[in-house]
Amino acid sequence: MKKFKKAKIMKRFKNYMTGLLIAALLIMSCDKDFDEINTSKTAFVSLDPAFKLNRAIINLMEMGSRVQQLQITHWLTSPFGSSLAGVNYSQFVPSMQEFPWSSFYPSSVVTTVDIVNQTKDDATRTNLYNAARIWKAYTFMILTDTYGDVPYSEAGKGYLEQIIKPVYDTQESIYTDILKELDEASAALDPAKTKISGEILYGGDVTKWKRFGYSLLMRAAMRLSKVDAAKAKTYVAKAVAGGMMQSNADNAKLLRNPEYPSPIGTEISGNEKANYYATKYFVEFLKATNDPRIGSWLHRYVGAANATQQTTSRRTKDPAVAKGMPLGYNDVTIASTFTAEGVVSLYDYSQFDWLVVFTNSSPQWYCTYSQTQLLLAEAIVRGWTTGDAAASYSNAVKADLERMADLGTTAAIPGAAVTAYVAANPLVVGNELKQIGEQYWVASIPNGFEGWSNFRRTGYPQLVPNPYPASEIPGEFIRRHVYPDRESVANNENLQAAIGRQGGATNCKMNGRVWWDKL
Amino acid sequence: MKRKYYLRTHFYSSFCKLLRETKIAILIILASVSIVSGAITEFQQLAITGRVTSLKGDPLTGVNVLIKGTTIGAITDMNGRYTINVPDRNGIIVFSFIGYVTQEVPANGRSSVDAQLSEALTSLNEVVVTALGIKREAKTLGYATAVVNQGLLTENRTATAIGTLQGKVSGVNITSFGTGPNGATRIRIRGNSAFSGANLPLLVINGVPMDNTRFSEGSTDLGDGLNSINPDDVESMTVLKGAAAAALYGSRAKDGVIMITTRSGNVTKGFGVTYNVNYTTETAIDYTDFQYEYGQGERGIRPTTAWPTSGVWSFGEKIIPGMTQVLFNNETVPYVAVTTKERYKEFYRMGQNLTNTISFSNSGENGGFDLSIGNTKNTAIIEKSDFTRRNITLGFTQNISKWINVSGNVNYSNEYYKNAPMGVGNQSAPVNTIATMANTMPLSMMEKYYQDPITGKELIWSRFLPRVNPYFIVNNWFDNNKRDRVLGNIAIKFNVTKDIYIQGRIAQDFYSRRHDYNSPTGRLDAQAAPAGYVDGSYNRINNTFRERNYDILIGAKHKFGDIGVNITAGGNQMFRSMESEYQSAQDFIQPGLYTIMNGRQKTASHDLTERAVNSIYGAAEVSYKDYLFLNGTARNDWFSTLSPANRSILYPSVTASFIFSEAFQGLPKWLSFGKLRLSYAEVGDDNVGAYSNIQFYSINSNLFAGPGGSVPVGGYSSGTIANPNLRPLSVAEIEGGIDLRLFDNRVGFDFAIYHKLTTNQIVSATTSQASGFSSQLINVGESVSKGFESSIQVSPVETSSFTWTINANVSYNTSEVLKLGLSDKDTVITVNSVYQIVGRPLGQLYYYMQKTDADGNMIFDKNSGYAVRSSSRVNVGTCLPTWFGGITNTFNYKGVILSALIDFKLGKNYVSNFGANHDYWRHGKHKGTLPGRDVGYVIGKGVNPDGSVNQTQAQVQPYYENFTGNGIEDPFVKNAGFWKLRQVSLGYDFVKFLPKLQFIKGLKLSIVSNNVAILKKWVPNMDPEDIFTFDDTSLTGNVSGYPSTRSLGFNLNVKF
Repeated sequence: MKKFKKAKIMKRFKNYMTGLLIAALLIMSCDKDFDEINTSKTAFVSLDPAFKLNRAIINLMEMGSRVQQLQITHWLTSPFGSSLAGVNYSQFVPSMQEFPWSSFYPSSVVTTVDIVNQTKDDATRTNLYNAARIWKAYTFMILTDTYGDVPYSEAGKGYLEQIIKPVYDTQESIYTDILKELDEASAALDPAKTKISGEILYGGDVTKWKRFGYSLLMRAAMRLSKVDAAKAKTYVAKAVAGGMMQSNADNAKLLRNPEYPSPIGTEISGNEKANYYATKYFVEFLKATNDPRIGSWLHRYVGAANATQQTTSRRTKDPAVAKGMPLGYNDVTIASTFTAEGVVSLYDYSQFDWLVVFTNSSPQWYCTYSQTQLLLAEAIVRGWTTGDAAASYSNAVKADLERMADLGTTAAIPGAAVTAYVAANPLVVGNELKQIGEQYWVASIPNGFEGWSNFRRTGYPQLVPNPYPASEIPGEFIRRHVYPDRESVANNENLQAAIGRQGGATNCKMNGRVWWDKL
Repeated sequence: MKRKYYLRTHFYSSFCKLLRETKIAILIILASVSIVSGAITEFQQLAITGRVTSLKGDPLTGVNVLIKGTTIGAITDMNGRYTINVPDRNGIIVFSFIGYVTQEVPANGRSSVDAQLSEALTSLNEVVVTALGIKREAKTLGYATAVVNQGLLTENRTATAIGTLQGKVSGVNITSFGTGPNGATRIRIRGNSAFSGANLPLLVINGVPMDNTRFSEGSTDLGDGLNSINPDDVESMTVLKGAAAAALYGSRAKDGVIMITTRSGNVTKGFGVTYNVNYTTETAIDYTDFQYEYGQGERGIRPTTAWPTSGVWSFGEKIIPGMTQVLFNNETVPYVAVTTKERYKEFYRMGQNLTNTISFSNSGENGGFDLSIGNTKNTAIIEKSDFTRRNITLGFTQNISKWINVSGNVNYSNEYYKNAPMGVGNQSAPVNTIATMANTMPLSMMEKYYQDPITGKELIWSRFLPRVNPYFIVNNWFDNNKRDRVLGNIAIKFNVTKDIYIQGRIAQDFYSRRHDYNSPTGRLDAQAAPAGYVDGSYNRINNTFRERNYDILIGAKHKFGDIGVNITAGGNQMFRSMESEYQSAQDFIQPGLYTIMNGRQKTASHDLTERAVNSIYGAAEVSYKDYLFLNGTARNDWFSTLSPANRSILYPSVTASFIFSEAFQGLPKWLSFGKLRLSYAEVGDDNVGAYSNIQFYSINSNLFAGPGGSVPVGGYSSGTIANPNLRPLSVAEIEGGIDLRLFDNRVGFDFAIYHKLTTNQIVSATTSQASGFSSQLINVGESVSKGFESSIQVSPVETSSFTWTINANVSYNTSEVLKLGLSDKDTVITVNSVYQIVGRPLGQLYYYMQKTDADGNMIFDKNSGYAVRSSSRVNVGTCLPTWFGGITNTFNYKGVILSALIDFKLGKNYVSNFGANHDYWRHGKHKGTLPGRDVGYVIGKGVNPDGSVNQTQAQVQPYYENFTGNGIEDPFVKNAGFWKLRQVSLGYDFVKFLPKLQFIKGLKLSIVSNNVAILKKWVPNMDPEDIFTFDDTSLTGNVSGYPSTRSLGFNLNVKF
């Protein structure tokens, strides 16, 4: 090889090597940009806590799989099996037991925990902070009422404290803390301070939040009526002194719209609209007192032989012809009731009106003035506070009849009819707890959780257990939900400890009782 | 036929290395040798002529033709023809050619002797394209690879290039989804390296990593990245199976690499045109074995009044000839069962796949190009569903000077997948409804009454509203999935000396995807729209993907006596971004106008993720005397997605290859070749998502109209707990293997054994939902995969007119979980629907079964008579196969080639989880739901919880529904193993029948049938491969989705 050529090659080689070296250095030094590359250009790293509170409020919806709480309390039922089988037959279906656990913890719980953490030291947002505490307490009330002992003190802290296996707190300790929280937070709410702007329940009205907080405190206190009367009495006094809801204008009510549809309305007016019916007990109960609410809640397709015959021409809201469906039958055996009940098919029974009152735009009530007045009447009857029980009872009944106006003009009850009904149905001495319990049941529609809890606590109304032949709990009611299966994998040690101290597997079945639900 | 080959002799090897597969040079030299040889021999002039072809009929150029025991010989020309002059015509002619089995044919006085050579398993000096596109001789490799060349690809065509590998390559497990020819493909090499995620090998097209994201919408499988590739453009595929083979890909090498090379015009000399047409038909196969004794209806009653709603239930009356039923608007029709076969025939059409590819190539001294234009049109077995793809593929290589070479590839594809078949995860999918519809429901009635002609609303046929009338879907639903993709690279290579080169390359994979679909107005299961609107929805999704790679490579080699050294070093900079835009509209103002603007409620979102990885790497090979090769590689990756402390990771490998048949003298003669190999490597996975260090928030699309005005709603955006300290998982693999050729290459055997330890797996661990989150990402997991792969090739019969070749491979793999958490107590996690349990194989399935007592008696409820569910879940095995493989028999009779592939997967269980048997059971089509119907009740054989013998009469329909309603899986847990006759093909090259027109060089026709028959299966009513899930962690279920199809078609390849 010629010498000059070799030199040329070497020169070229050196040039390339230099180039390579520069390239390598460039590559290695380029991780300077990495932090910028790994910063999202589209995601939120922070958010106004008021908007988070909105999510927590919306999440607390009264709907299980297939609106089961509404069926446990015998407001409505479905005769159908297959995917609708479960609560209607008093049978155990695991997926139905997971609600509200699987829904509340990842949304309302984690969100309120996050808000409380974010605002606890922020002097400019004390009202928001305390509203979040109230909502958190309310969320946990439903959870513990449904499952008994549940994760509370360590719940919702998966990200904040990296707790992925939270311990279960006893229901007693949870209630102790809920009462304390509701009391403290309601007291701390101050209308003189900044409004809770951007909040959807009361449009930021601090006074209404305060009344809502004290009304929930009354509800929580009364929950302990069987297990700790002294504590119940103490907190009833605090709630009364603090100032509870004063009219339907104070109701904790969530307006729904097609963008944020009512889950229960969606269920009942959607796929399954031909499959849910009002129970015979419910219809007969309202009929017994000529209760005008029957025409607000229900409709019937008279003479419909099948689902497709549920047409406008057959539809009526006339209370006189309302027919409730007896419990204990499936879609075939129900045929044996047609003659006695005077219907032509199961599609001929009365339904909750899915054209007007159970649509995706129907409002939902978390806590109402009527419920609060009924609890107040009960507290007076029990001697835990002073006042006029009969007046509170009448206020409550009147308010609930007036609440029907929220369901639209066709559901609204004329003022004269309200007055007449209230006058005709006063509180009768000696029968107070029964009347209050029954009215609470009617006034809680469609809040399944609250209706179910108060029924378990008071035993009113005096329902008869679903006589379905293949019931898994013959002669008994569903009194709690079984813990989600997932917990036995993800948090088994804590789960087993909780089951163990609550009477073991025998009591942690559907017909087992939670702590406050004493026999 | 394009074939890279190297001659083995020393005399030519330097030429080969220097000039790179320049056939002409070799030919010239060989020709001169033969001329010289001719000159020396006697001057008798008896000529023997002939043509040498491969078993597939391709002419073989450059074959050494020699009269045994003499120096008389010749070399075949471009058309495979040779002429030799011999003293007499009674000698034995020896045909030898690198890569083929040497053949001896007695001339027996003939003047014309043709020969067909069969391919050796792997040619000894074959050049293999290894990681980063580095070409190396196969014998130097200390790890297993598999090369699949074009012949196999085009003749045994499947709809995707990868599908061709099914059952043919050991260690490679390929499953097509049950979603038609354009559905995605699940590819696993050596089992599952990790227990979360997809375990999908890296796809490299012409040296460029290609995004293989599978898109789906609900349960509609919209295919994966492989849909962009025209199989007819593929020149070869190389599978890098183990970590050592893929080590130079570092953090992307966890699951091996499939390298696809498309044509680039550097093989054929001169100008050439190839035309290939591939046409196949697809026919739905019926695997069901339903009951046809009881017809439509519920609770033993058939429909007798107008508008019955039992539609999907076959729990009606016993069918007696002459019976009638009333359907829809009081139509009385015979109560006669329709078999699935008849129903398929009525509803499905014959699918047709047609691909036309024409390619032009030119090649000369200084380079060449290959331009190919392809058009694919696949029509699915479902009406209105089809896939169109247009490809333009250009490959070129050019020597600008003696020192500089520029080469590149550009693959452009335009794809339009229209109405990709809905999967069964979607209750309303027509495939699902057709499979589950009551057995006496006539399709003609369904078609007649699918919608109200005036309102357009679906008419009721079943009270199970989500099961939408299939004709309503087919006629009202649309789904348009379009993609434009450009994938390419340009490389400049400087050959500094003949032993040193530097190469720079820039490569990009870019695509833009537009997808829109509707949920049609008028479905019965739709939520009613507010007054003034009609229901329905419309969605649009746009994705823009870009991956850019800049890389540089420098190579140098030198030989010091017996020791050779070969060093390669380089660096790579990778940047990837994916941008997604989504819009949707719910409810419409103007019926039938599916646009965003026509919508009542609108939703929009926008997302951008970006990531970068920088790398430097190097490889060094030391060889001793051409029989011992040691190789070491190292790659260091820096990740943008990791915290600075964790950012840098090193991936090393060492391999050794020892050719003992060359090293030792005096080995038995039957041992033609023997090689031992050993390797160790560490690789990783680029599996830490961008931004996984922060818990983000999100805001709902719509404001909430509250009492204080319309306000935003928001919260945490993810149910997974963010972890700023995540690292990529790492895989350490030891592999050993042996490669033997016996009896003059008539038997070839290859065996590999491996042990693959995967640590630091990112586990999306199931958390208690009470934590507020459903999962947490943590680096805790360890698992090990162990297994072996073996393949054997035998040619039991080999005569001049008939050969029989058997290729068989079998692979065994088990993967076991070693560690799942920080403490020893963490022994179980659930990932999607499977359980990972320490000490057990991956992918354990746990289901509720029927409760049994201590003696194993089934327990039935005393009141209802229903089966009682077990109190806890019961382990039913793993969902992953342990054994798989295939056997290909190839027969060649005078150029007619018949080939049949049988493949199998064995050793797994799964549950018919969502559709299929679950639905067949609860809807009363499953034969298992017959007992009790004649008497009207079922008495379960077993005991009551109190121990007494069960005597409760349960109602028939609820008794069976209770299994699915309550999740008792006994009737559905089945072994999903199978033996299939996967493929049969018949091929012949007709060129010899054509007049000797110079311009047609080949005219090859092959007939192929895929998915011919299931030889053995354990799951009733369906194809066990009918699996819709992509992930290994949700392989539990299956669907009665798109029915399996049998394809029959032909491939015609014409070369000019």
